[in-house]
Amino acid sequence: MGVPFKQIVVYLDGSESSMTAIMYGIKLAKEHDAKLTAVYVINTKALSELVKAGIFVAVERDEYQKDLQQDADRYLKHAARLASQKEVDIETVKLEGTVHIVVKELLKAQKADLFVLGGITDIRSRREELASETDRMMRTSPCPVLVVRDDDDIWLEFEA
Amino acid sequence: MNILDVLDKNLVKVPLMHTDKRGIINELVEVIAKAKGYSTQQFEQILDAVLNRESLGSTGIGNGIAIPHAKTDVVKQVVMVVGISRFPVDFDSPDGQKSRIFFLVLAPSKQASAHVELLASIARTCTSQVFRRMLEQARDSEEVVRLFME
Repeated sequence: MGVPFKQIVVYLDGSESSMTAIMYGIKLAKEHDAKLTAVYVINTKALSELVKAGIFVAVERDEYQKDLQQDADRYLKHAARLASQKEVDIETVKLEGTVHIVVKELLKAQKADLFVLGGITDIRSRREELASETDRMMRTSPCPVLVVRDDDDIWLEFEA
Repeated sequence: MNILDVLDKNLVKVPLMHTDKRGIINELVEVIAKAKGYSTQQFEQILDAVLNRESLGSTGIGNGIAIPHAKTDVVKQVVMVVGISRFPVDFDSPDGQKSRIFFLVLAPSKQASAHVELLASIARTCTSQVFRRMLEQARDSEEVVRLFME
């Protein structure tokens, strides 16, 4: 067990709350002098589901695959920029697959002692509870999980 | 991103009035254009994007569902319009079944992840035959929203 934290992994999905999470992760890493990793997962499972369901045609799947790669690069670059602002070293990792599975593998491989994520909302329906990737990541994480609430104060403090 | 993140009572229409594919698409785009106060030009831009996508292959996916969708920078966030028709509409679905449940999904070009996740969420949600039957029988937009929230 690493206390204070030595290896922090932050999950990014492009949402505003995941941006809050990376800011929080950067501050934590600085305070604890921990190694920081930001991970973005290209959800190829969702893409496969769309092809299987007949919602995407082949040409569309290829186009979206490229778009998803660009999304990943953009958000990871943004995370690196934020870390650099606070003079914190960061490793950015782009993965593909089923989100909670590949994240769990990364946490194990990195021997992470803290997993930071945002994006937790109130459960609004039973159906949603069953399908939430964030929920699954929390449940399957091999290390302690820190859920960062999407809080304006974190943005203000980070930008100060 | 899932259905509940974008579900908006003002973007649900029950019942849809048109009985043909082109008319339904037009009506769904009208719902979003009216709700967001889009100009005629923006309405046309969205319609063109949806019809262009439709020209690649029908978005009727079977089991009485169609999910016309497109990327367009007219919208600033991923949006979804839900429409329920009293009459089955031929949407060229692979199973030959006519559609009564429609989801129009529009996304800005730089929000591919959210777009893909929302479409996958719709596909997952609508796998239940019981749920589809309840949606088809919904009397108004409030009931549609309530069904998704259960």
